[in-house]
Amino acid sequence: MEAFRAIGQEEMSRRAAALNRQVRLAAPFGVVATHHYDPLPAPLTASEFAGIEAGVRQRARMLNALLDDIYGPQRVLHEGLIPPALLLGKPHFIRSMRTGAVLKGPRLALYAVDLIRGPDGKFQVLRDHTGIIPGLGHALTLRRLAATTIPELFRSGGLRSLRPAKEMLVDHLQRESQSGLIAVLSAGAASLAYAPDMMDDALLARALGVLLIEPGDLATRGGALHIKTLSGLLHVATMIRGLSGIELDPLEQGGRPGAGIPGAFGAIRAGVLNMLNMPGSALIEDADFAPFLEAAFQRFLGEDALLPAAFGDPLAIASKAPFISGMGMVSTPLLFRLYAWHDGADWQVLPGGLAFGLDGKAGSSGMKDIWVLDADEPQFFAGAAPLEAPERVTFLPAAHLPSRVADNLFWLGRSVERLESAARLLMLALPRLESGTSLPRDVAERALITRCLAQARMLPADLAGGAVSGKFLRQILARRKPFAGLVKEAARLLHAASERLSPSMLATVQSALDQVEDALVPNEELALGTILGFGATFAGIAAENMSRDGGWLFLEMGRRLERGEILADTLAILLDAAPERLEPGLALGIELADSVLSYDLRHAGILAPAPVLAMLLADAGNPRSLFFQCSALRWSLERLGADDDAEQARLLQAEAVNLANRATELATPLATIAARLRMLSDRVQRRFFTLLPEAHQLEDEEEVAASSL
Amino acid sequence: MIYRLHHATTYEYAEPVVLGTHFMHLVPRQRPGQVIRESHLEIAPAPELRRNEMDHFGNFTTTVSLTNPHRQFVVAVSATVEVAQPRPPRADLTPCWEEIAAVAPRRAEIAEFCLPSPLAAANEGLAAYGAADFEPGTPILSGLLALNKRVFTDMVYRGGVTNTGTTAAQVLKSKVGVCQDYAHFMIAALRGIGLPARYVSGYLRTLPIEGVEKRRGADQSHAWVSAWLGDAIGWVDFDPTNNLLVYDEHVTLAWGRDFQDVSPLRGIILGGGRHTLRVNVDLDPVLT
Repeated sequence: MEAFRAIGQEEMSRRAAALNRQVRLAAPFGVVATHHYDPLPAPLTASEFAGIEAGVRQRARMLNALLDDIYGPQRVLHEGLIPPALLLGKPHFIRSMRTGAVLKGPRLALYAVDLIRGPDGKFQVLRDHTGIIPGLGHALTLRRLAATTIPELFRSGGLRSLRPAKEMLVDHLQRESQSGLIAVLSAGAASLAYAPDMMDDALLARALGVLLIEPGDLATRGGALHIKTLSGLLHVATMIRGLSGIELDPLEQGGRPGAGIPGAFGAIRAGVLNMLNMPGSALIEDADFAPFLEAAFQRFLGEDALLPAAFGDPLAIASKAPFISGMGMVSTPLLFRLYAWHDGADWQVLPGGLAFGLDGKAGSSGMKDIWVLDADEPQFFAGAAPLEAPERVTFLPAAHLPSRVADNLFWLGRSVERLESAARLLMLALPRLESGTSLPRDVAERALITRCLAQARMLPADLAGGAVSGKFLRQILARRKPFAGLVKEAARLLHAASERLSPSMLATVQSALDQVEDALVPNEELALGTILGFGATFAGIAAENMSRDGGWLFLEMGRRLERGEILADTLAILLDAAPERLEPGLALGIELADSVLSYDLRHAGILAPAPVLAMLLADAGNPRSLFFQCSALRWSLERLGADDDAEQARLLQAEAVNLANRATELATPLATIAARLRMLSDRVQRRFFTLLPEAHQLEDEEEVAASSL
Repeated sequence: MIYRLHHATTYEYAEPVVLGTHFMHLVPRQRPGQVIRESHLEIAPAPELRRNEMDHFGNFTTTVSLTNPHRQFVVAVSATVEVAQPRPPRADLTPCWEEIAAVAPRRAEIAEFCLPSPLAAANEGLAAYGAADFEPGTPILSGLLALNKRVFTDMVYRGGVTNTGTTAAQVLKSKVGVCQDYAHFMIAALRGIGLPARYVSGYLRTLPIEGVEKRRGADQSHAWVSAWLGDAIGWVDFDPTNNLLVYDEHVTLAWGRDFQDVSPLRGIILGGGRHTLRVNVDLDPVLT
């Protein structure tokens, strides 16, 4: 608190804003940060924490024993401890999970509990979280961000670090998983309805250095679960479950195969898959069971609960804490959420957690970091540096890249390139269609432009080569809004691929894309410059900020294939003329390839077929030449070990050089190159993404097919 | 009575299936009044993985995984089963139904069969339908026999009208369907007045006893209703499709809250294209 006073309230509010900007950067793209962070920590003394720790451990032990009983012998029902009709009617009682078999891990292995501090200073339990554990990702992230936003606070006390605990958790998961992968299972972008907090899942995966996956990334083989990755199917041994256990396994529960993981329950019962927590564990967090839990402590542990259940209105009894609100502060009843996990031998409690304001909507006043202060252990005091040193970052091998992510990055590369080249074409087309001289050269040029526009689907096909005025083109643009669709597609793919882009990259790209969307609203034509700006930003980010791993290679291939195809298609139109009539097409080609300046510098502006073709087709140093695209493709394919496809790219490279050396009849061979690039694109997709076709349900129609008498 | 059971299910696919995973309830379960002398479940092509388990209800389940491309998938059950359900006492000697409705929700193994399930949830109409045969103080067996008969009479037996997702509430409106719909209808009507009832899947003897009309639902998978008559008597089965009190013409495969809990064969396949399904059921008495 002294440190806080020293900073001053106004400065504190600014820091709060800065912290939340950081949070938004940390959020996966497209995920609305529904929570905000409050930089003032919620402190617990060492002795308070010791009391909580013992109580949380005991409670977790009891809840796990209760789950084992409910999904096993059901003594609590036979003995009348819990009314059978109450328990058996709950949708979270998942019958498929009832088994006598020994599971790979405890049914409850991750646990969170919401506590309040009563008027007597004692902690009381408000509710349990035994299914999906909300906020653990936030809890592990908040500390790291806060350390950089308010370093003063971190200097002022003996704050217990989260890192040893977190590393123990990761080590434990890795030990248990042996050679299998560990992943956070999230609902995925496609079904936000089922995802309590996608951002939490993403933050947790990042904090633990494990994969973030969706049901669609998984396939069952030999009764075990595998993730579809670029290196094929890799066994996943442990999943931290971020989606409901209800309707998790369409094989046993029915439902659409794509929405769940067929075979998940069987794999769990066979002990080849661990889930934190096991499906069905959310059952006992239901408030209806609260009255029966006290007796369960006695039944399973022979002990009374160390932490009593909250009694009465929590708003009236909970201790209050200050929250930053605007430029001032408000005092709000406080909820403490503590986290614990089972390490194979006993429960470990995270010396930290999240605190929320209890009034209003949950979390509306912000989430706080819980600090455990070790006043009596000076070795935890730090000097000037923030206590949380840089994270130990676990790098995931590129080979573990889920096919879905590679697929999204590939199409993202294509989509951004398509957007950019469409903008480039239109910028060139509009002024030329406007200046309506009837000189044969201008007429020929306009015919070429309308053919290119039709090829790019910005004009109806029947207008290709025809006379189209600038005014008419504008009308079509205003009606069809081709860029709005392209931008929407780029935004969707960016969202889908966001987990492979760093927070700062995302923030930059997102802001550039936001500008494009804003600019498009009044008039698509006026947005063309902004679109080119976005393309340049994106290319710059990809070139400068992404490591050349599996993800980048797919982005690169998408971009190169799209650019190569458009270039070959466009040149097939522009160079479709007798040698003496090539000049307008050559000029347009140079301009579309953004190579006017380089050409002028090299050739003093005199257009001749040979140097133009050399520059557009065969120049290894021109990033917009056909040769360059094929060469970049070949390099990427070689890196991915796709040797036969790389050979295709090499042949196309050679073909580009060949074509540059002839000045006539270029249209057909160029169209062939475009077609071969498309075939190569199909091959890449088949090789890397369509590892598995969509599964479908084979219903038993026997009863339906009942023959009538 | 001792029966020899054969039940073969054949899927023919237009395109090869590259991967198939199937979850089955096809091995007959044990129960009072039924002894499984032997049973086999044969699968072709041979699965790469096979797991035999017992589910929450005590039914046998089999999970198989086929990883070699195949155009045909055959599941063949054969078993020798001895059945003789205990005869319930005279109806007027059974407890009154309110007594059962009061006890059932407090019993761990019984309670869930009083509760609504996806395909057999009671609504007001179903509760009223059930209540008509259960005047206050009615002995439970009298009420059950009357309801069994009324469902048989009110329903029209016709295939192809309903499907595996048809609910009891829909059947109440249409009053048409197959054995599964008869069973869901009666189960939901009983649950509507608080009585426990479960869905039983199984088989009916193929050739009728001499001098008896051919039963509906022979030559195929059959389904009927089991109702709880209290601790002293236990579960007694009723076949509303044939207006029968089950004795020795039925072989039980599995039971659950409704069809969804005991679906004989569920699968997730990759590839396959269109498929055709052929089912062959024989339940013949073994001459002793």
